[in-house]
Amino acid sequence: MAMNEETSGARKLKCDDTSKCFELLESILDGEMDNSKEVLKEKLAKCQPCFEHFHLEQAIRDVLKTKCTKQEVPNELADCIRQKIQEIK
Amino acid sequence: MSEVQRRKYSQEEKNTIFDGEFMPHIDSMYNFAYRLTFDEDDAKDLVQDTYLKAYRFINSFEQGTNAKAWLFRILKNSFINEYRKKSKQPAKVDYQEVETYYNSDDVQYQSTTDLRADSVKDMLGDEISNALNSLAVDFRTVIILCDLEGFTYEEMAKILDIPIGTVRSRLHRARNLLKEKLRGYAQNMGYNTEEEEEI
Repeated sequence: MAMNEETSGARKLKCDDTSKCFELLESILDGEMDNSKEVLKEKLAKCQPCFEHFHLEQAIRDVLKTKCTKQEVPNELADCIRQKIQEIK
Repeated sequence: MSEVQRRKYSQEEKNTIFDGEFMPHIDSMYNFAYRLTFDEDDAKDLVQDTYLKAYRFINSFEQGTNAKAWLFRILKNSFINEYRKKSKQPAKVDYQEVETYYNSDDVQYQSTTDLRADSVKDMLGDEISNALNSLAVDFRTVIILCDLEGFTYEEMAKILDIPIGTVRSRLHRARNLLKEKLRGYAQNMGYNTEEEEEI
């Protein structure tokens, strides 16, 4: 991806510290940061690499959550467990 | 995790805890077990063993605390102790190497792929699921716990018996590996990636 010091529109094309920024963005996405809204808004408005990284990471989390279909639990499993519990009571 | 102080529950209290706090997590437990073992029978056995252990050690559980994390920890330990031996899992990852790699200056939190968010959104469930399943079990586990089950870093640290810093770095590494897999799918499917020569 071509990056240089110039800015495109409102966003910088080069991030000053991707290591620190990406770690922060990932923590925000994982719900590990309190009061992160303002920080996030500023980062996404000002920095193109941060903007792209955030949206990619967010998309991956979303598809994992929505598209990794839950395995259907076998009907008899709960009954089987209860029965075994009765035996050891 | 709530194991320090042993309690003495009555039979009725045990039943209440078991039905009210343990059993509601059976779907998540089975999903986790299946993604660890890739086998329906092994997953059923693993979940059943976990619930039997949970019942046996119910006095170590403090009513009203995080039952789901407590159960996941038992399941994870059962898997390591009993199922991992017989299942054909990829070789264990050398975390020392991983940690060293990630503590070096040049590879922290870089954007490692040119995968695009739109390509990811267009992918099918099977592609996402296969990419996740192809990861080594320890990497797969952190993604399942965080993204599918919504555990916090702190809960994951307790479930996995590792420091929070390790949770964070393992998760980051796991997601990078996942992105590499997804990027491969994206290119095969003709989704738009920015620089095709960068393979």
